[in-house]
Amino acid sequence: MSDNTLLNVEDLVVRFAVKRSRGFGKNAYLHAVDNVNFSVKRGETLAIVGESGSGKTTAALAVARLVKSYQGKVELNGTDLLHLSDEDLRQARAKVQFIFQDPYSSLNPRLRASDIVREPMDSLGNMTETEKSDRIDFLFEAVGLRPEQQRLFPHQFSGGQRQRIGIARALATQPDVIICDEPVSALDVAVQAQILNLLRKLQKDFGLTYLFISHDLGVVQHMCDSIAVMYMGKIVEYGPRLDIFNVPQHPYTQALLSAVPSVDKARRAKSRRILISGDPPDPVNLPDGCRFANRCSTAKDICRRDQPKLDNGVACHFPGAKL
Amino acid sequence: MALLSVKNLQIEIKTRAGVAPVIDDLSFDLEAGESLSFVGESGCGKSMTALALMGLLPEGVGSVAAGSITFDGEELTTATETRLREIRGNDISMIFQEPMTSLNPLFTIGEQIAEVLRAHQNLSRKAAWNQAIELLDAVRIPNAKARVNDYPFQMSGGQRQRVMIAIALACQPKILIADEPTTALDVTVQAQIFDLLQDMRRQTDSSIILITHDMGAVAEMAERMIVMYAGRKAELGPVEDVIANPRHPYTAGLISCVPHILSTLTEEREKLVEVPGIVPPLNDFGKDSCLFASRCQQAQAQCLEARPPEIEFGPEHQSACWRAQEL
Repeated sequence: MSDNTLLNVEDLVVRFAVKRSRGFGKNAYLHAVDNVNFSVKRGETLAIVGESGSGKTTAALAVARLVKSYQGKVELNGTDLLHLSDEDLRQARAKVQFIFQDPYSSLNPRLRASDIVREPMDSLGNMTETEKSDRIDFLFEAVGLRPEQQRLFPHQFSGGQRQRIGIARALATQPDVIICDEPVSALDVAVQAQILNLLRKLQKDFGLTYLFISHDLGVVQHMCDSIAVMYMGKIVEYGPRLDIFNVPQHPYTQALLSAVPSVDKARRAKSRRILISGDPPDPVNLPDGCRFANRCSTAKDICRRDQPKLDNGVACHFPGAKL
Repeated sequence: MALLSVKNLQIEIKTRAGVAPVIDDLSFDLEAGESLSFVGESGCGKSMTALALMGLLPEGVGSVAAGSITFDGEELTTATETRLREIRGNDISMIFQEPMTSLNPLFTIGEQIAEVLRAHQNLSRKAAWNQAIELLDAVRIPNAKARVNDYPFQMSGGQRQRVMIAIALACQPKILIADEPTTALDVTVQAQIFDLLQDMRRQTDSSIILITHDMGAVAEMAERMIVMYAGRKAELGPVEDVIANPRHPYTAGLISCVPHILSTLTEEREKLVEVPGIVPPLNDFGKDSCLFASRCQQAQAQCLEARPPEIEFGPEHQSACWRAQEL
């Protein structure tokens, strides 16, 4: 662990009990996040990508302690967040803030914009009222909203402006890490660009660290420094941006990248669309071996028997195999 | 003659503030077997166009105010409801955006596919059921014989969308309208659905109208595209031409505001081009000016004074912009 590491997640497991009787009183568990490790350096962006049900949002929620983890470590600046309670936890929450996916349902419709941004400072900070007002003025300007808009209610804003309020709220307590959970996927394409540019500008100006959750690989490519690709609760590939996008090693990553439609003629000519057949396995009854084995065209016996470990940034028995 | 021909179509909807033209003087042709795509932000009239073609405009709210829609020589805007019922699902059919909500949860998927065949092709219960199984197999649902008895909740999103495609294609329609068929789905599933649609098109030789906001999807799926803005046609042309050389600032903005994955990525990441602001509110629609002017960096005095005409670039490429020549 280098000195620059801000957030370090080790062996994180999140599981949910599901009602599916397996004999008397025995609970079945769904492992939404299964032994996940990653770390984020200060001022950088780590993207977690994957399809719905891959566990990317659950992992982010666990980092922010918004869901209960079963085991593992989440270290922020060397302090394990998972074992904090009461006042320590309150202080820690101020350091990890969230930007949510849907700007329509994540703002309280009965509060004015300024009160929405003030709320985290009331509950998590120790500022005086004047300091809070000054900070609200500052944040509104930083996210590109006009001062007179502080008095308005959420329904008077457009989707993009609402997301700006959400960003201002996340910045209010001067957090170390901001978790962006699909921050633009509910927005129109032209508005997406405005929000993405704003997020990058804020990162540069304030030295922010992002944990960026997205399923849109184009957006991820633009925003992140490194990437973790998740499939069925596991990280299947983890590495720097250019490595993942230019030479993907895991068959799932290759398929995922090839599935993105592109306007670039050269890319379309070069890449062959890899279709993965079938559906992901039942998350409660996972297979013994590699979780991608039943959809992978290069799978051999060993893939169905042994679960591959994340080694050199890829969890596959045959990394780099051509599909 | 074109299979479908839309001329000067004007659709108005009633709002509390008055009547607004959500589609304003739209004309285009669709040839048999062709793949055409509508692109634009939400609220630009893409879905309204699709509903108008299907004769499914919301009753009492939206209506065709002027213009014509001719399908195979037959006028659709004045056709009776009975005749439209015959055409819908048989000659023109549609796949909706939300596979989760567009199937009836109370019937098995087999019954829902067979219903179309019984209604339009007078097949017997048995024959329709057997064909439903074949169709499920054709849209690549494994073990079709058993799955035909499933209810929609037993299927994943991708499978439900494939059932929707099976229903839409059951009578081998001449035109298939796909309204954002993959926005609710994951990328790998999207790739499967696109592949399936392309295959089906090749086999049945039907035309596809794809409505989307994703330029990448247009580039992969369509031959020609229409860019819509605020109910008007901003640009029309062959996909390759338009993407390589957009003649309308809105098209250029739509292409460059999205971070694309290129064939080789480099360290460099430029700031995304922003199209500032949002689509104008409905009561601004229909003004005699360029409706994009307020968001356009190239706007001049002329743009605010009169609606731009459609300027031709070659036989197939048109753009409605006063400064299209300079772009």
